Parts: sequence; structure tokens; C-alpha cells
Amino acid sequence: MAKEASMKRRRAIGNAVTYAILIIISIVWLFPFVCLIIQSFRSYITEFGGMVNYLIPKEFSLDSYKFLFSEESQFVKWYGNTLTIAAFVAVFQTIIVICVSYALSRMRFKGRRALMNFWLVLGMFPGFLTMICLYFLLKELGLTQQGAIPGLILISVASSGMGYYVFKGYMDTIPKSLDEAARIDGATRAQILYIMMLPLAKPIVIYTALTAFMAPWCDYIFASYVSLGNSDTYNVAVAMYRWVKTNDYQGYFTRFCAGGILVAVPVTILFMCLQKYYVEGVTGGAVKG
Amino acid sequence: MKEMEKNSGIFKKAGSAIVNFFKWLSTDLKDIGTTFANGDWKTRVSFLIMGFGQLMHKQYARFVAFFGIEVLFIYYMATFGATYLKDITTLGTKKSGWNPDGTMAYGDNSFFILLFSLLSIIFIFAFIFLWRVNVRQNRDRQILLAQGKKLATTKQDLHSLLDENFDKTLLALPFTGVFVFTVLPIIFMICVAFTNYDYNHQSPTQLFTWVGIENFKNLFSIGATGFGKTFGKVLSWTLIWAFFATFLNYFLGMGVAMLINKKGIKFKKMWRTILVMTIAIPQFVSLLYVSKMFAADGLINSYLMKWGWIESAIPFWTDPTYAKVLVIILNCWVGIPYLMLIATGLLMNIPEDLYESARIDGANAWQMFRKITLPYMLFVTGPYLLTQFTGNLNNFNVIYLLSGGGPQSMELTGSAGNTDLLVTWLYKMTYNNTDYKMAAVIGIMVFIVTAVISLVVYNILPSVKDEEGFQ
Amino acid sequence: MKKRVLALIMSTTMVAAALAGCGSSEKAETPAADSAATTETKTEAKADAPAADAATEEVKDYGTGEIKVWVAENVQTFTETKIKEFQDANPEYAGYAVTVEPVGEGDAASNMITDVAGGADIFGFAQDQLARLVSAGALSPVVGDNATFVNEQNDAGAASAATMAGTVFAYPLTSDNGYFLYYDKSVVTDPTSLDKIVADCEAAGKSFYMEINSAWYQPAFFFGTGCTLTYDTDDMGNFTTCNIDYASDNGVKALKAMINLHKSSAFVNGSSLSAATNVGAIVDGTWDSGAAKELFGDNYACAKLPTFNVDGTDYQFSGFGGFKLMGIKPQTDANKLAVCHAIVKHLSSEEVQLARYNEVGWGPSNVAVQQSDAVKADEALSALAEQLAFTIPQGQYPNDYWALGTSLGDSVIAGEYDNASDEELMKVLEDFQATCQSYAQ
Repeated sequence: MAKEASMKRRRAIGNAVTYAILIIISIVWLFPFVCLIIQSFRSYITEFGGMVNYLIPKEFSLDSYKFLFSEESQFVKWYGNTLTIAAFVAVFQTIIVICVSYALSRMRFKGRRALMNFWLVLGMFPGFLTMICLYFLLKELGLTQQGAIPGLILISVASSGMGYYVFKGYMDTIPKSLDEAARIDGATRAQILYIMMLPLAKPIVIYTALTAFMAPWCDYIFASYVSLGNSDTYNVAVAMYRWVKTNDYQGYFTRFCAGGILVAVPVTILFMCLQKYYVEGVTGGAVKG
Repeated sequence: MKEMEKNSGIFKKAGSAIVNFFKWLSTDLKDIGTTFANGDWKTRVSFLIMGFGQLMHKQYARFVAFFGIEVLFIYYMATFGATYLKDITTLGTKKSGWNPDGTMAYGDNSFFILLFSLLSIIFIFAFIFLWRVNVRQNRDRQILLAQGKKLATTKQDLHSLLDENFDKTLLALPFTGVFVFTVLPIIFMICVAFTNYDYNHQSPTQLFTWVGIENFKNLFSIGATGFGKTFGKVLSWTLIWAFFATFLNYFLGMGVAMLINKKGIKFKKMWRTILVMTIAIPQFVSLLYVSKMFAADGLINSYLMKWGWIESAIPFWTDPTYAKVLVIILNCWVGIPYLMLIATGLLMNIPEDLYESARIDGANAWQMFRKITLPYMLFVTGPYLLTQFTGNLNNFNVIYLLSGGGPQSMELTGSAGNTDLLVTWLYKMTYNNTDYKMAAVIGIMVFIVTAVISLVVYNILPSVKDEEGFQ
Repeated sequence: MKKRVLALIMSTTMVAAALAGCGSSEKAETPAADSAATTETKTEAKADAPAADAATEEVKDYGTGEIKVWVAENVQTFTETKIKEFQDANPEYAGYAVTVEPVGEGDAASNMITDVAGGADIFGFAQDQLARLVSAGALSPVVGDNATFVNEQNDAGAASAATMAGTVFAYPLTSDNGYFLYYDKSVVTDPTSLDKIVADCEAAGKSFYMEINSAWYQPAFFFGTGCTLTYDTDDMGNFTTCNIDYASDNGVKALKAMINLHKSSAFVNGSSLSAATNVGAIVDGTWDSGAAKELFGDNYACAKLPTFNVDGTDYQFSGFGGFKLMGIKPQTDANKLAVCHAIVKHLSSEEVQLARYNEVGWGPSNVAVQQSDAVKADEALSALAEQLAFTIPQGQYPNDYWALGTSLGDSVIAGEYDNASDEELMKVLEDFQATCQSYAQ
């Protein structure tokens, strides 16, 4: 009896410690976001728009948000640009990845291994190496400055075939006997892909689309190259990065916070809704490498 | 010893690959010769007019494809490719200059000469390959006809693209995309590493040209302006960073996952969701904000001082050691949630009875972790750890948004900072300094480092991939 | 054999076609756009004909085209309006459609260097970028009457800042790219001595901001103790010689002063008011005057930089007097070039400089405007003017110099030299000097 009681006590203490740690962790993880939200409600008109050494604004106001939606700022346009890029990239990148994964997972053809190895080696070159070259390639196609948005979509989609690992790994786990049965029934390879594989691979399709959708929101480096000063085709990252990094924009810090919140909210909501699939994707990806 | 053996193995492989290549080349050339010698007149015409033999046998799709390629190729080379290709050895000689009326008379553009020459060379190889395929098709046609078999009709050809040749349909676009927007630029930048393309030799006004291995010498030179010492320092920090960023995240993430999964802990989903927020929120918002929080006059320092915990600001970003430690810690903030998700999924896969029997044997929690959990996790996630490690070698966003590579130091040249990774240094070279030649050299170094580490680690991994095993 | 390559062929064809088309695409663009615009100008020209006749002046027809302008966002509308007014007043230039885009001076320069062809025809930039821009072929020279205009209308410093190896490359817009002291009257009692300012800040729990890891602010120390650092250039933007004596007793003193400053608990490295959270005093420029007024409110004050004390001797802070310039990229069409020059000349003129001062507070480089009452009464600008007596006009410096300065400053701030002896400091400066000299070939 005594032993059992002490076991219980020990478990209770263990749980209490665990809860304490988890609460601390949660605070640490949420702290920056809470700060970000609170600061976005500081008025840049009545208080100060730059950085300050206190967290809670003297009074809460929506001035920073109003600014973003006012005539003064092109924020809505930038937001639309980013959304457009993200949507197109999500769709096309997913299609490309499906094509590559199916071909590499289900079909055996000459040069398959060589192709996979070749792409693996290519992936070892740092992406920024080719920035200047890509810029001029796009420029020759007329897809910089005014055409930056299709340009960015093209660049993101063009090389996305190399990111097939997770998807192919998932497809590999779908039994091949299903294919063979379908082929005996007279289905073509194309039909097998549309009718059979895609529904089976739904979680990973969503995972692929989700990650593809999220990436453009953070694309600063290449996007700033491609738009080359054309503010109509900035994405949010390029536009807002200037607010904290260049001297031309004094006192834009609260507006940066507000913009950051507006960017984060939809992405976060989407992410939370599809979290289940995301978990499946990263876990599968980790196991299959 | 083992390494030596492995290395000699690689050389042997490379040697035999070269020998095999020449063997293959000679048989292939012989094959082309016999095809011509034994070919009927249609096959022989096809040597000049691609797709001719196919046309004569009503394989229209093939004819259109082959002949179209031939026409386009010739047109491209004559009107465009050749004009650039002829300058490949010098990368242009005609300098730009001012006209009397103040306008600019642009000379040769070295950048495009190099870029389009490379493109033309790629096209030439592709064309030779297609020509060879064309020749082979004609030979095969003769063989098939001699055996009395039927040739594929156009309709069958097209249908096969959705069936047995579906892989070609699927891969055509991705392959082209990768070729134009990844392979070509990489080849281009590798070439740039052997030129003097920088701020003083910038197209279109200035010319640049080949300089051999001058830039590589510069990278390894040790003088006051040489990059040697800096390169060594940046490289070692890159490795240290990648090590900590990978393994610290790995173990801490696993720890957090185990805490959340602990029996009797409630609100599992809530804890997970809180952590996962960092994945959802775009890094340029969260990391830029966090970096400002740790500034000398940022929120953290301000409050610590207000509360009287510290006298003067902690030099988070200005002291090299603080900055290095801080980026590693903050990277945990970024990375732990991923690992938590992954570990959660995998931990559930470990059979419960393993723990049960261990418990009966009297093992404590730590022993169970060491003997059961860890070996399992390491085995399963081995390849993942490797990709994480190489990914962290090139973890641009975290460093760039947090510390910007700073603080710099008189000990480092080429505007490198103490927390600069090779890849952020490369970016600085490209963007701030427009020193493209050195950026290209560093890019090649990054590749070499990544490739070597991958090769070595891959060979010692316990779970060498067996992809067919899962099917 | 099989038709495995069919798909490959198709894709290659597409690429080939796309690229084959590229060669000629550049030229094809302009005529189409022009024809529409040409008719417009013609009708306009007709309407204006009587006026032109009356003046019996032959107006040259500059044709039509497009001109892209890059300026900082806070002067975008201003610039737009001024160009519009100018075109209305001078219809011979009205055939050109001018678009003004907001691109800050720093971004403008780096974008121009990345891709001259894609960059703006007219762009504003800070003068420290001049050499880089010239060597990247992003500026066309200003010659003849226009060069005379630059030299006669602007102060000598501004004119020389726009000049490289005897050739004028840009039109000055401002002479206010220098720095001085903003401070909080309630915190700082005596703004003439660094030691006192720092002591006051420490006592009040406020911070003293100075960006000593910037090669632009650092010379305040070095030039203050009597060191020099200048470069000579040729007309291609290449640096030929470096005149430097940092590796001297004076240099060591300056470095010591930096180290002393960094040791104060009140010191924060920085020069951007909007990023500064707890300001007692800050070394900053006119571009922050609006933010400073807002931040300090009634306690707003500014002054020339103070003196600093090393080993018992006082030295007056020196520094750079810098300028904002506007340049024109190389053109292939002589008419367009002429129009660009006319526009930029106008934007640099007395009238527009005065208007710009009134509108956004940019300190003029035009001598006549500098003498106007409004400008003379400006607190920030007079503090700057006072400080300018102790500075040297900023010449041309290689891009690497700015990075090197950051390295030196970061090393100081990181405390690498906190306990260094004079000999060790001398060694550091010798390295610094040697590296500076290595930038000149």
C-alpha cells in the first residue's frame, strides 16, 4: 500500500514538473508573437512608430492597420501579389512534384537512377549561387520588374521537380500490386495516376501544396532582385523588409508589426486546418529521407 | 585505413568509368557506321534530314518532332548561337565607349556571350543526342521490317505517351525546367569562378574574361587581403553551427515530444499547436522581430535593465561569442517544433511491449531511453539527420534574418562576419559587393563541403536505403 | 528505337524557340509604344505653335519616349509634381512619359549596379556610391554648360562630390548628408563635451547613440585627431592611390577614444532614431529631424558634435560632409539623354531645391538657397552647418572601405581591444591602413 502511494505521489510530482516545463516552453514560444501583436496596436501618430523600450502601448489604436489599407500604402497590392504567387506556386509545384514522383516511383526506365543521382548532386549547390544568372535569364524572357510576378512563379516552379523526395517516399509505400491489378484491367499509366494514385496520396498532395504555398511569403532575397525597384510587383517580404532595414522609413516599426500580423494570420489559419496532413508529410519525409 | 581503401575505391571506379566511356564511344561510332553502310536509302537520307525515314513510313509525329528540332536548331545556331559562340574564348573584345554626342556605344556583353555560348553548347550536345536517336530509330525500323513486324502508327506513338512512355510525358516539363533554371545557371556560375567578373568588370559597360584559377588562389592565400584565414574561420563556424543546429534541435525536439506524449499529460493537442505556430508564421516576420528584441536597446535588454537585473545591456549581437550562442539557441526556437512533430509520430511506432518488458527487468526511464528509444530513433531518422545537417550548412534565413552574419571583425576579410555561414557570405559577396567571381568560388566550396560530408556520412549510415524494400 | 525522346524534343523545341526569339525582342519594343505617343505630341505641338512663333524661338523636337525615375519614397510625389510642372512649362520635353518610382538611395545604387539596363534612367543616390556607379557604367558624364551649372550653382563640396577625376557625373540635390548631435534638453546639460554628455546619459539612465561600426561615422574620431584618409580615382572609377595615416599616434588616440566610448554603459551603437529606444543623445543627420522632433517633443535640441578627450587633450569631432546626388544612366538615344539632363538639371535648380527644402526639409546644395532665410533659421541645418566647419567634404571611397570600417567598429564594440596596449592598437591600425591601401591599385 505504502509503495503504491509513493508511486502515485512520484507520478503526480513528475506530471507537475512536466506541466511546469510545458508551460514555460509555451510562454517562450508564444512570447514573440504576443509582443508582435501588442506592438502592432501602438499608434504611430499619437505615440511613436519606431522601436521603444516598453511593451504595452499607452493606448491601443488601429492606426497601423488603417495605414496599411489606406491610399498611402500599396500594402493591399503587395499582399495580393504574394497571394497570387503563393496560389500559383502551390498548384503548379504540386503538379510537377506529382509528375516526377509518379515517374520515379512507379516506372522503371533507362536513366532513372542517373537522373535521381544527378538531381541529388545538383541540390548540393547553394541556391544563391545562381541568383545573378537567374535574374538575367528571367530578364531575357521579360519576366523581371513589371513581369516579376510570373517570373517568380516560373522560378519557384521550374526547379521544383528536384523536391520530389517526400512525395516519392510516400508513393513507394503504396503497394505496387494495386497498379498491376489496374493494368490487367486495361488502365493506362495515366489513368492509374489520376484515378487511383492521387486519391490514395491525398495527405501528401495537401502537404506538398501547403509547403509550396507557405514558401513565397518568406521569399525576400530573390524577389527583391527580380522586382528590381518596381514597387508594383513587390511581395510583402520585399516591401516590409525595407520598413525595418532602410533609413528611408523612420517610424515604420509598428506598421511592420501590423503587416506581419496580417501576413501571419491567414497562413497560420490555413496551416492549423491542414496540420494533420502536414504532420504526416514531415514525419514521412523524415523516415524516408 | 578504411578511409584509404574507400578513397582508392572511388579512384578505381572513376578510372573504370572513363575506360568504359571510351569503350562505349567506340562501339557507338562503329554502330553508326554500320547503320549507314547497311542502311537503305531512307535511312541514309535520314542522316541528313532527320525524321525522313519515319516520314516515309507514315510516322508523322516522329517526323514533325525530329525535323522540327533540326530546323529550329539550325535556325537558332545560325542566327543566334554562333554569334555568341565565336567569342567564347575571349568573352568579347569590343569595349564600350562614349559617342561624341554623349550617348553610350555599348560593346560586347561578356555576360551574355558566356551564358548563350553555354546554352548553345548544351543545345549542340542535345542535338547530337537526338540525331543519334534518330539514326537508331531508322536502324530499328529496318530490323523490324526485315522481321516482318509492323511499325507503330502515329496514333500508337501518341497513345504510348500516356501509357508505357508516360514517364517521358511526366518528366519532360520538370526536366526542362531543372535544366534551364538550375543546370544552366550552375554551369554558368562554375565558369564565372574562372573569370574576373566583379564590380570592376561588369557587363554591359565593361568586359570580363578568363583568368584561370586566379580566384581559387585568392581564396586560399593567407596575406592581409587574402581570403585564406577568413575562409577557414567561416568554414569552421559553418560546421560548428550545422552540428549544433542539427543535434541540439534533434535531442531537444525529441525531449519535448516525449514530455507532451507522457502518460497523464492533458491537452496534448494544445501544446503541440502552440509550438507549431513558429512553423506557420513566415520567418521574415518572426525572426526579424526576434532579432530586434535582442538588440542592445531592444525589449529584452530594456526590461532586464528596468527590473534592475543587469547594469548595462547584454551585447547579444555585438559580441561574437554571444551572437554565436544566441543564433544557435534561437534556431532551437525555429527547429524544435519540426522535430517535435516528427518524433511524436515515430515514438508512437515503438512497440509498447518493448518498454513493458524493460520495466519488468527494472530499467529506469533513462535506461529505457538509451537502450530503446534512442537507437530506434537514430536508425529510422539517420538519413533525415544527414539532410538536416547539409540543410543547416546552408541555413540562410535564420542567420540572415537574425544576425545578418555580424558582428564583423578585423580578423575577417571580405566583409565576412563572425556568424556568417559560407552561404550568407556568398550572398554578401553577390549582393553587397557584386564580387561575382569570389561568390562563385565560395559557391563551389559549399558544394564540395556538402558533397564530401554527404558521401562520408552516407556510407557509415546503418540504414542504407533500400527503396524497393518498401514496395 | 522507342520514341522516348519525343517529349524531350518537344520541350527542347519550346525552349529553343523562346530563346531564339529573345535576340530580337529588345528592339521591337519601342516603336510600337512610340507611335501612339507621337501623335499625341504632334497635336500638342500644334497647339503650342503660336506661342513658339511669338517668341520666335525654334524649339527642338525631342520626340517621344519613356523615362523612369527612382527617388526616395518621401520625395516621390514632390518629384513627380516638379517634373510635371517642368514638362508643362517646356512642351518640347512633354513627349516623354515620366514615371517616378519609390526606390531609396541605397537600393537604387545597388539595383543600378546589378543591372544597368533594367535600372532607372534617372536616379537619386548618396554620394559615397559614385565611384561604384561609375565603374559599373551606370552614370553618364555631365559636360559643357551642364557641368558649369553644377559647379557654379552649388557649394564647392557638393560640386566636387559629383566630380571624379575632373569629370562631373551627377547633379547635387542636397548638402545635408552629414551628421551632428540631437539631444534631449532635459537629459544633456552641456552638449559641447562627449564626456559630459555620456555622464549625463548614464546618470539619467538614457543612452548615447553613435554608429561607430559605420565607416561613415568613424572618421569623426580619426579626422578629429588629425588623421587623413582619402582616395584618388581615375575617370573610370578605379582607385589609384590611397592617402592614409591612421597608423600613427593620432590614429591610436582616435581608436582609444572609440574604445573609451564603447566602455560606457550608456553607449549604444546605432544612428537610426526609429530603431533607438532610449535616447538621451544621438549622432544623426537631417533626415531624422522629423523623427527627432516627434520623439523629444519640447526637449528637442541639436548642436554641432562635441569634443572628446583622450589622454588629457580635447579634440573636436570631425566627420564627413556628404551630399545627395542625382544621376543619369548611359543612354543610346541622344534626344532622350538631352531630356534627362534637362529634367535633372531642373530638379537640381535653385527653385526646386528651395521647394524641396520647404516640403520635406532636405538641406540644399544650391548656394543661393543656402543663403535663404528659411534655411538659415532651420535648427538642424544650422547645427549641421556649424559642424561642417570641422568636417571634410566626403570624396570617393571604395566599397570595401565601408565593410572594413564595420569590421573595425564591430571589433571595438565586441571588446576585442578593451585591454590592448598602445602597441597592439598600433598593430590594428597598421593592418587597417595596409588593407585600405590594398584597395587602390
